[in-house]
Amino acid sequence: MPHSPLLPGRAGDVPVYLLVCRSVALLGLLLLSPAGFSQTTTPPKTRPKVTAAPATRGRTTVQYAKGFTITYAGNCKVVTILSPFEQKTTATRYLLVPRGTARPAGYPDAQVITTPIRSLVGLSSMHVALASFLGADDILVGLGNFKYASSPRVRQRITEGKIYEVGQGKELNNEQLIARHPDLVMTTGWPGENLTRFQTLAAAGIPVMINSEWVEKTPLARAEWVKVLAVLLNKEDVVNQKFGQVAREYQRLATLGQKAAKRPRVVVGMPFKDVWHVPDTDSYMAQFLRDAGTTYAWDKTKSPQGSLALSFETVSPVALTADYWLHTGSVSTKAEVVAQDARYAAFASFKSGRVYNNNRRTNAQGANDYWESGAVRPDLVLADLLRILHPELLPAGALCYYQQLK
Amino acid sequence: MSTTVRVAATVPQRVPAAAGARRRAAWLVVLAGLVVLGFVLDIALGSVRIPLSAVVDILLGRPGKTPAWEFIVQQIRLPKALTALAVGSGLAVSGLQMQTLFRNPLAGPSVLGLTAGAGLGVAVVMLASGSVAGSFAIRALGIGGSWSLVLAATTGAALVMGLVLALSAKVRDNVVLLIVGIMIASVTGAIVSLWQYFSAPEQIQEYLLWTFGSLGGVVGAHLTVLALVVGVGLVLAFASAKSLNVLLLGENYARSMGLRVGRSRTLIILSTSLLAGSITAFCGPIGFVGIAVPHLTRALLRTADHRVLLPASCLAGAALTLGCDCITQLPGSQITLPLSVVTSLLGAPVVLWVVLRRQSIRSSFS
Repeated sequence: MPHSPLLPGRAGDVPVYLLVCRSVALLGLLLLSPAGFSQTTTPPKTRPKVTAAPATRGRTTVQYAKGFTITYAGNCKVVTILSPFEQKTTATRYLLVPRGTARPAGYPDAQVITTPIRSLVGLSSMHVALASFLGADDILVGLGNFKYASSPRVRQRITEGKIYEVGQGKELNNEQLIARHPDLVMTTGWPGENLTRFQTLAAAGIPVMINSEWVEKTPLARAEWVKVLAVLLNKEDVVNQKFGQVAREYQRLATLGQKAAKRPRVVVGMPFKDVWHVPDTDSYMAQFLRDAGTTYAWDKTKSPQGSLALSFETVSPVALTADYWLHTGSVSTKAEVVAQDARYAAFASFKSGRVYNNNRRTNAQGANDYWESGAVRPDLVLADLLRILHPELLPAGALCYYQQLK
Repeated sequence: MSTTVRVAATVPQRVPAAAGARRRAAWLVVLAGLVVLGFVLDIALGSVRIPLSAVVDILLGRPGKTPAWEFIVQQIRLPKALTALAVGSGLAVSGLQMQTLFRNPLAGPSVLGLTAGAGLGVAVVMLASGSVAGSFAIRALGIGGSWSLVLAATTGAALVMGLVLALSAKVRDNVVLLIVGIMIASVTGAIVSLWQYFSAPEQIQEYLLWTFGSLGGVVGAHLTVLALVVGVGLVLAFASAKSLNVLLLGENYARSMGLRVGRSRTLIILSTSLLAGSITAFCGPIGFVGIAVPHLTRALLRTADHRVLLPASCLAGAALTLGCDCITQLPGSQITLPLSVVTSLLGAPVVLWVVLRRQSIRSSFS
């Protein structure tokens, strides 16, 4: 952990010249712009009010996800996020302490988060989905990019100016984050990365949590990350009930799909020039295809990246004869498909019109709700897939996330 | 360098005329053979194993054993091999023209900023979001995935070309023109970087894939247009062979010999713009071929005569690109490598070996 120069007790670790420089700089700032300086110390007025909840209301356990664990210790909770990419497990531990309680002894390496959190900055659309799922859209006060929010409530709050944009990727607007001081920043984890790039925020006492849901191997495991936010909000009872419902419905549908008599052959994705990325055996997409009762050519192929970068030539024998073609990227009409590459017209699925994309719920900003609410509602996604691939198995109904290309 | 030294350097090469001519003819035949071999290999090899007899059958128009094989050979491998021919010869020739025009061994098709201009055009289409309403409309209206890319890249390259042509009429000094080109590339590169900085990761990935360069995706109408433009560019280049020879002696000397320098310069820039611009538009920036092949041919043929160098560069460029494309397919493996990476990784040592054997490169430019 980096030193925390903002904490008074740690000043002794900092060289004297730095302290002098800082004092001079602070003095200068104070003299030059008193208003600007005081802004950082005033808490934001728009902070949503969350009624004080008892420390723990019910408990939850992790059933499917492999990327995190939740344990209960007294009236505190410990959330451990495991790094999925490294051989030796480097875990990041978070100690969840009820508001108004002193930090208990133990877990010296853990970051402390005061619960329930009242404000959250989410850097991925998945984080919007987690909050929406728990009916806690209002705790979102910051987003990486406004463009990627689909939830109507969040969109409304953006219009009302109640959410700020903090930038995405590796470049966060640290000054704004420190000034607004959210209770938690949730970010997405990438291979070979750890929390060191958030040193500044850590030093300012803003906890940062890496949420690597996208590496989970099954749709249910991915959706289960909603429990991480639930324990942060003391909403265990809500998540047990709602996620339990989703999981049961998903299992019911998966049983239907796995027992399907005929197994249509599918091809997924759209190539760019020579390269066609297809999901590998360990990806949650492959699990969707298994549960939807399909024949998928790369069902048994492993790749460390979660997807395989194949040549167009390799995929084309499969694509030519596949019964269905799913996930056609940004295109939503058949004319756009052939405009991308005239060769796609030779695919059997294209000729029979069995081409489906997952972008039915795309809003005016271009955000696709499949990547938001779809991430926590795998039951709805699987129901769509079954309706497309096995219409005889489910009663007729409208598709939720998918649409047929006309 | 004085003019007398340059003349002295060119003269000795012409002394053993008969032997030299035989040697050059032999090399041209060898290079042509390599092109044919590369073309055949590029169609025969790939990540899907198709027996040679089946490939020949399909090429001769007989029905293939499976529709998939027919599709692969006719729709994937053949267009790709033809694209490789156009790309290799076009880039090599435009590189040769640039090196001679600027009398700089480090010049290549990208020096005029054309590639960078094309890249900016593509970035506009790929990275544009709702914030830039006009460009977003291009995407949303579905003018067509790949055509809109080609259109954007061509527009970008054409704008830069227009700027360079306008400047070349004003600026007399080729070195100044070279610096202008490099600065234009810098500015467009910076704009693209800025754009990337504010873009979503998935958009950046798409753009990144484009910058790796690829021969795939050039089919049907695309291939016809590319072949046509590269053809025109090559004709212009061959027409400028004599003026290139004279320009090698320096602009003042060329002028004193009666060459209309401004006009030949415009012709050469136009030709190289057509070649590099169209190839970048369709295939993305493909590095190395343009800068390396001219050196390779000069070293192999030991001549500075563009009437020989131009066709030789054409052949060598095509052969090298075809060979590299065979390797990007990694026969037997299911993945494909970016073409630019392969051309540089495998081409650079070959060129180094040839150039080091010859030691002096300065004589080529004087």
